[in-house]
Amino acid sequence: MRKLIALLVLIATPVAAQDFSANSEARPWNLVAEVPARFEATVVDLLCELAGDCPANCGDGRRQLGLLRSADGVLVYPNKNSQPAFTGAAVELQPFCGKDVEVDGLMITDPELNVDNVYLVQTIRKVGDTEWTKANQWTKVWADSNPDAEGKGPWFRRDPRVNGFIEKDGYLGLGQEVDDAFIADWF
Amino acid sequence: MKHTILATALLGLAGAAQAAEGERVQITGEIIDTWCYYSGVMGPPESTTGTAHHTCALWCSAGGIPVGLLGDDGEVYMVLKIEGDDGSASGDTQLRLASHEITADGMLYRRDGLNYLVVEDVVADNGIVNQTHDDWGVIPGFAIPDPEG
Repeated sequence: MRKLIALLVLIATPVAAQDFSANSEARPWNLVAEVPARFEATVVDLLCELAGDCPANCGDGRRQLGLLRSADGVLVYPNKNSQPAFTGAAVELQPFCGKDVEVDGLMITDPELNVDNVYLVQTIRKVGDTEWTKANQWTKVWADSNPDAEGKGPWFRRDPRVNGFIEKDGYLGLGQEVDDAFIADWF
Repeated sequence: MKHTILATALLGLAGAAQAAEGERVQITGEIIDTWCYYSGVMGPPESTTGTAHHTCALWCSAGGIPVGLLGDDGEVYMVLKIEGDDGSASGDTQLRLASHEITADGMLYRRDGLNYLVVEDVVADNGIVNQTHDDWGVIPGFAIPDPEG
């Protein structure tokens, strides 16, 4: 029986002791709870993985995607791409739907906020490929989808949907009157 | 006997990696931007909720950052679908509900330390009620363009 227990410990230990930061070349963002993490995973549709709701091609870009880590089966949630521009990771992962990939980036692990396995992806490549793809395509995809959103400034100042809500409800979301009073005091 | 124990233990290890079973829940809370809340990139988590962070919440939701429901219990529930709209990456329904307090009825899936929520019904939508701008101003500070340019 002791041998059996020792065997089970040996099986479990490599998974528990995995250090995914070892070969990471991720660029620091100086976030409080960031840890570099490079690992292999399968790109999955989260709704499919969790709830069995599985349209073709991971939902064609509508849905959030996950990374099912090969080493331990943990489901990692990529919340962020590599652009400092309020942009998520699904656009970057969509071309890799269902594929086995290697990713490099930053894991957010913060016991105080009870969060683990939230990820910022910086580079992606299919397992076996040598070239990395930078996870920075979001703004290009947005520009291609919003050819009429011209003008100066970053995408979030020109996005028609965002501007529609700000026009309707104000920057604080409470209406123009509250905005006006706040702005008079704020600036 | 040993073989049975070993097989059961190995199945247990494998099973831990499988999807958790869903559980019916009803949760009241605020629709938030999860990246700013979790990462601390904008400041402490309480500064990334409510009116102070509303414009940024719109930007992040439109930008495809996952939205979550910050429940009254202090837990964050990652929202994957709302009333049939599976647009969890920059979808219209989640954008419309940015910073709103809602009561959601749906299925909860717990997996690897995170909560995932499939909202089947928004039982109540109380609009934006968490007025944090008196304490925090706006986060980030450039969310409102300077009227003087």
